[in-house]
Amino acid sequence: MNNKIKKLLRYSILLLAIPAVILPGVTVFKDRQYAFISLAVVLLACVPFFLSFERRKGNGKLLILIAVMAALSSLGRFVFAAVPGFKPVTALVVITAIYFGAEAGFMTGALSALVSNFYFGQGPWTPFQMFSWGLLGLIAGLLAGKLRGSRTLLLLYGVLAGAAYSLMMDTWSTLWMDGTFSLARYAAYVAASLPWMAIYAASNVVFLLIFGKAIGQILERLKYKYGIGEQLDERGADDCDRLQ
Amino acid sequence: MRAFESVHPAAAFAYFISVLLVAMFTAHPVLLCEALLGAVLFCAILSAKGFWKNMASYVPLFAIIALSNPLFSHNGVTMLFFLNGNPVTLEAVLYGADIAVMLIAVIYWFQCYSFVMTSDKFLYLFGKAIPKLSLVLSMALRFIPLFKAQLIRVNRAQKAMGLYSGKSFTDKLRSAGRVLLALITWSLENAVETGDSMRARGYGLHGRSHFALFRFTGRDGVLLGISAALTGLTLTGRALGGADFAFYPRITGISTAPLSLAVYLAFGALTLLPFIIETEESLKWTYFVSKI
Repeated sequence: MNNKIKKLLRYSILLLAIPAVILPGVTVFKDRQYAFISLAVVLLACVPFFLSFERRKGNGKLLILIAVMAALSSLGRFVFAAVPGFKPVTALVVITAIYFGAEAGFMTGALSALVSNFYFGQGPWTPFQMFSWGLLGLIAGLLAGKLRGSRTLLLLYGVLAGAAYSLMMDTWSTLWMDGTFSLARYAAYVAASLPWMAIYAASNVVFLLIFGKAIGQILERLKYKYGIGEQLDERGADDCDRLQ
Repeated sequence: MRAFESVHPAAAFAYFISVLLVAMFTAHPVLLCEALLGAVLFCAILSAKGFWKNMASYVPLFAIIALSNPLFSHNGVTMLFFLNGNPVTLEAVLYGADIAVMLIAVIYWFQCYSFVMTSDKFLYLFGKAIPKLSLVLSMALRFIPLFKAQLIRVNRAQKAMGLYSGKSFTDKLRSAGRVLLALITWSLENAVETGDSMRARGYGLHGRSHFALFRFTGRDGVLLGISAALTGLTLTGRALGGADFAFYPRITGISTAPLSLAVYLAFGALTLLPFIIETEESLKWTYFVSKI
C-alpha cells in the first residue's frame, strides 16, 4: 500500500514537472520557447523509464547485457561510419527489445544514443535521439511476440522504424530552427530527408535480415546459459541484487 | 592540465549547464555572439587541434544554414530578390545566420564540455544518485575501446584463415557480418564474466567506499557562486524583457536600455569566465618561470 502511494507520488511529480517546465519556458525563453520546452519534455519523458530501471530488483546481468548492446551499437556506428546513415543501431536495439523486453529495449536505445554521441558529438539533438531510439526499442519490446514469430513483420517493423526515426529527427530540426512548428518547413525537411529515410529503412532491413536470427540465437543461448532476463526465483534475485 | 580541468566536477558541470541553458534558448544576436566568442576562445585554449578541425567543418555548415533559411521562410518585409517566384528577404537571411551562430556556439560549448567533463567526473557526480545507470554507462564507455580492439583481432584471424573475402559487395558484407557475430558472442560472454568477477569482489555491497581525487575547495565555491549569480541575472533580465529580439516581420534594433546592457554584460562575463581563469593561470605561470 505504502509503495503504491509512493509510486503514485513519483508519477504525479512527473505530471506536474511537465507544466512546470512549460511555464518558465514561455516566460523566460520567449522567442526560443519551443526549443526549450521540447528539449525539456523529451528529457522528462525518459525519466520514468530510467527511474523504474533504477528501482527494479534482480536485473544485475541484464544491466551488463544492456551495456554490451549499447557499446556494440555505438561501435556499429564507427564500423559503418564511411556509409552515412547506414547504421545497425536500430536493428540491434530492436533485437535486444525482442529478446529481453520493452524496458531493456528502451534502455539500450537511449543509452546507445548517449554513449555513441560521446564520440560523435553531444549536442541538443542527443535527448531527441535518446528518446527516438528508446521509443523504437520500447515498441519493439511490446510487439515482441509477433515480431519474433514472423520475419515479414520484423522486416516491416524495420522499415517503419527507419521512417519513424527520420520523421522524429525532422521534428527536432524544425522546432530547433524556427522556434515554432512551421508545417511548411517540416514538409521541406521531410522531403529533403527522404533519401536518408530510405537509407535508414534499408539498413534496418539489411541488418535485421542478416543478423536478426543469428544474434537472436546468441541471445537465446546466453539467456539459457546465464539466466539473464529470466524471472528469477527468490534466491537467484537476491544473488543478483548484490551486484547492484 | 588546464586550470579549468582541475575545477571540481560539480562546479564545472553547473557552469556548463548554465551557459548552455542561456545559449541554446536565445535568438538574441548579442548573446549568441558572446556565447560563440567565449566558446571559441575556451576551445582554442583547451585544444588547438580540435579548434581548427571544427573550424574547417563548421564554417561551411554555417554558410549552408544561413543561405538555406530564406528558401523555407518567406517572412519579413525587406525583399532582396525573387527566387523561383518566391521572395528572398533580408530578415530570413539574417535569421538563418543567427541560428547558425547559435548552433556553432552550442557545438563548441559541448566540445569544451566533453574535454573538461570526462566520464569519470560525470560518474563521480551521478554515481550516488543513479548507481545502476551510471554503472551501465561506465561499462558501455569502457566496452567500446575493448570491443574495437577485439574487432581488429577477429578480423585478422578471419583474414589469416582465408575466410575474409573482399571481392564483391555481398561478400564484403557477409565477411563483415561473420566478424561482427564473432565479436558479439565474445563480448557478451566476456561481459558476463566481468559481472561475475565484480560480484566476487563485492561490487555494490553495503559500506563499500569509492575513491575519488576531487575535493571541493573555496575556489570552486567562488566559481559556482559567480556563475550562479551571472546566470540568475541573465535569466531574470530575459524574463523582464531585457533580451527581447524579433526578426519578423522587421528586425528590431539591438536594445541599449540599461536592463539590456546588464544582461549583455552578465552573460558576456559568464561566457568569458573560463578564458579569464586560463589567462590568469598562464600569466601566473610565466611570472613564476621568469623569476627562476
